[in-house]
Amino acid sequence: MSKPNLNKLNPMDFTKMTPARQAIIEAAPAKSVPHTGSYKPNALAMALHPGVQYLKVTKITTHTGGMKSYDLAPDPERGTSSLAWFSAGQYLSLSLEIGPMRLTRPYSLSSSPRESLQGRYTITVKGVEGGIASRYILDNWTEGTPVTASEPLGTFTYEPLRDAPVVVGIAGGSGITPFRSLAHAIADGDEDAELILLYGSKTLEDAAFEEELRALEKACPRFRLINVLSDEAREGCEHGFITAGVIQKYAPAGEYSVFLCGPQAMYRFVDKQLAALKLRRKFIRHELFGEYFGPEKEPDYPAISAKSFQLTVRIAGHEQTVNAPAGISLLRTMEQNGIAAPAHCRSGECGWCHSRLVSGQVYTPRSIDGRREADLLYGYIHPCCAFPLSDLVLEVPPVKTSP
Amino acid sequence: MGNPFDVIVVGAGNAGLVAAANTAKAGLKTLLLEKHNLPGGCATSFRRGRFEFEPSLHELCSVGTKERPNTVYKVLDDLGAKIDWRYEHNIFRAIVKGENGYDVTLQAGVDEFCRSVDRAVPGCEANVRAYLELKPKVEAAIAYIYKMKGKPNGLTMLLKHADFMRLAGHSVEDVMTALGIPKAAQNLINTYWGYLGVPTDELNAMHFLNMLYDYVNDGAAMPHHRSHELSLALADVILQNGGQIWYNSEVTQFLYHEDGRAAGVVANGEKLYAKEVISNVIPHNVFDRSDPSKIPEQNLKLANARSFGISVATVYLGLDCTAEELGMKDYTVFIQSDPNPRVQYDTRLEGGLYIINCLNNAVPDSSPEGTCTLFFTIPIFGGDVPAELLPQDYKRYKNNIAKKYIQDAEQVLGISIIPHIEELSVATPVTFARYLGTPEGTIYGYRLSGWDNLMARTAAEKTDYAIPGLSFCGGHYLRGDGYSCAYIMGDTVSKRVVARLKGGT
Repeated sequence: MSKPNLNKLNPMDFTKMTPARQAIIEAAPAKSVPHTGSYKPNALAMALHPGVQYLKVTKITTHTGGMKSYDLAPDPERGTSSLAWFSAGQYLSLSLEIGPMRLTRPYSLSSSPRESLQGRYTITVKGVEGGIASRYILDNWTEGTPVTASEPLGTFTYEPLRDAPVVVGIAGGSGITPFRSLAHAIADGDEDAELILLYGSKTLEDAAFEEELRALEKACPRFRLINVLSDEAREGCEHGFITAGVIQKYAPAGEYSVFLCGPQAMYRFVDKQLAALKLRRKFIRHELFGEYFGPEKEPDYPAISAKSFQLTVRIAGHEQTVNAPAGISLLRTMEQNGIAAPAHCRSGECGWCHSRLVSGQVYTPRSIDGRREADLLYGYIHPCCAFPLSDLVLEVPPVKTSP
Repeated sequence: MGNPFDVIVVGAGNAGLVAAANTAKAGLKTLLLEKHNLPGGCATSFRRGRFEFEPSLHELCSVGTKERPNTVYKVLDDLGAKIDWRYEHNIFRAIVKGENGYDVTLQAGVDEFCRSVDRAVPGCEANVRAYLELKPKVEAAIAYIYKMKGKPNGLTMLLKHADFMRLAGHSVEDVMTALGIPKAAQNLINTYWGYLGVPTDELNAMHFLNMLYDYVNDGAAMPHHRSHELSLALADVILQNGGQIWYNSEVTQFLYHEDGRAAGVVANGEKLYAKEVISNVIPHNVFDRSDPSKIPEQNLKLANARSFGISVATVYLGLDCTAEELGMKDYTVFIQSDPNPRVQYDTRLEGGLYIINCLNNAVPDSSPEGTCTLFFTIPIFGGDVPAELLPQDYKRYKNNIAKKYIQDAEQVLGISIIPHIEELSVATPVTFARYLGTPEGTIYGYRLSGWDNLMARTAAEKTDYAIPGLSFCGGHYLRGDGYSCAYIMGDTVSKRVVARLKGGT
């Protein structure tokens, strides 16, 4: 038997390849290629992720407890004609110019995803102590105010393959916002889940959207609302804090997921309560931790030589040096100096502020270090949760305006 | 600032990174522009909870070791990019469901590979070996063609390189049939079509051999810290050699001189000029952002004649159990509904072929202790995304894909995945269209169809890319067969640019 060989194949077929290809090319039209955005996957990607959305305030609703809701509509004059769809639980990162400062803030969408099809998003803002952005918005936004927002972002969403069929939502204060959206999404049939919402407020007066959510509860058997009031005993409400006991009282017998959204103090309290319930890690999900303050309190925060340092920022070939106080995140320092830096979640997680530390040292608290493994090998940091320990040179990407 | 630059590289994908690294290392004033805030294109990673996933590039072929370096290793090593390489010896486990089904694991190493195919389909070892042994003949022929500057003597080719011509002029299956490789063994070996997106009755035999041989010879290699490590290592070479990288800086326009020569680009609203522009961006997108009168007619015809190559749907899972607890022993499993690649291709939307990787079986510490990750790859085209799919139905569309394939894998492998899902992310061609910006979310560029194969592309390189001062590199260029070739193309093309700007050869 002969060795396997290729003798059956004609080698001259090789010489036909180039003329055959040339003939096919010659037969094609010499017209311009279609715009990239005209292909289906690209058009859908653009609709879902437009990058920037230009909006304007159309309606303001005042709640008790120092909260206001802002309805936002697309602003066609600035180039946005429709709103991107979102999953309940996602947020918008707003770009704000306040005096000389350029900053961003994440706000959960509190409206139903369905409403975005009618050109309406709602965000709900609560004034917080020392909160520059929330104060500015509450004091200055009126009907017609132009708003520049990101596309919907974030992963605090219900995922049917991952989460239990029943979600126990734990909300504190303005942390009600993503749950309002989720409750509507369930009622609208956009999410296939059941939501039992424990909403912590001081008094029933302070509970936002009370009437609306009660009405929704009546209309949608898959949504239940329990007010947990710390400062008021009231019939039909729980009195006190959201303890393990309260959670167990309302949670189903089988598996359930716990979703938390509220102030950092609430996370600290409820996380301890949840530990007692011994839930699997996959069944506990937190909304963004929020901006981190006070690195000095961490046990591994090193001794430093000065109260402030020189921060040199390089952005796309331009350079600027500013004073960077220790204990203030590099992102805040840049913003306060009018340097527009990319940022979305401001909690160490999303990586949008990913920047290269050219020289110098920073401190990043371990609990909010969301960097990739290789970032640590090559000195990349997230300025939203990095604090200066020396003079620094930082390479920061410009703020992106394209998707 | 440095404007004008010697070289502007557009796009920090694999090829763009290598190109900019080469030009910067050669002392040329180099600017690399990238529309995202990270380098790498598909060679990057993203975090979900305590897990770190790779979008698509999860391993490379043609790497080899320090002792036995192959092309990719050499390109990165010559640049001084330090990569902590890890290796996988098994090539893949192939499972075909149903009556004609099988469950076979093929091993790396020429001898081991041929024997493992022979164990599955007895009596074919010599025939399979004959295919792999064509590799040195390919190298000799390519070396000759290269020596003749692309104009080989026809008679010499026929007398000395006839087998190369037979191989390079026919499809994988034609060549394998001629070599007497039984159909069952062909199907088993050709499981790899999924990585190229073209079934083996159409795919060029020489092209497939290049990839297969390197996988067989070297196994698969992956960086310790996901492919983000690869991209940051290359970015570091650029920066250490004085090059600049601007992220979030999308090129919105390509600029040309009066005489048609490339002049530079516009990014961040700023005009940036260079002696040479290297585009890691696919020609379609470059033409879409250029004055149409500057694009040679032949180049427009070529673009219009081509169709786009494969994209993927992918499912990333972070599980709260170890690979062992899950019962997942393999690193790569191909699951197929029929043994024949053409049937798999035609039924790609009904689970014809998909791939599962468990990186922990190659890089044990790639997720936290007590956990593991699974990564599903389903080769589909951007054109397979339903035309009527609305934004509000997209999440359901993604989750349906994920559910279908996870449940199928649970059944085929006899394991329980869903109860362990702690983190999950799903991508589709829409996701790749978003991040890569390519038409239809194509990953490797243009389809490697029968007529537009590697050899034919190489022969026509000069007329296919006719704009002076503008070079192309990346998956869409000559090779189009995966991520390894992008590094190699970036290297080849940028070295030509260096030679043009610095003189010499």
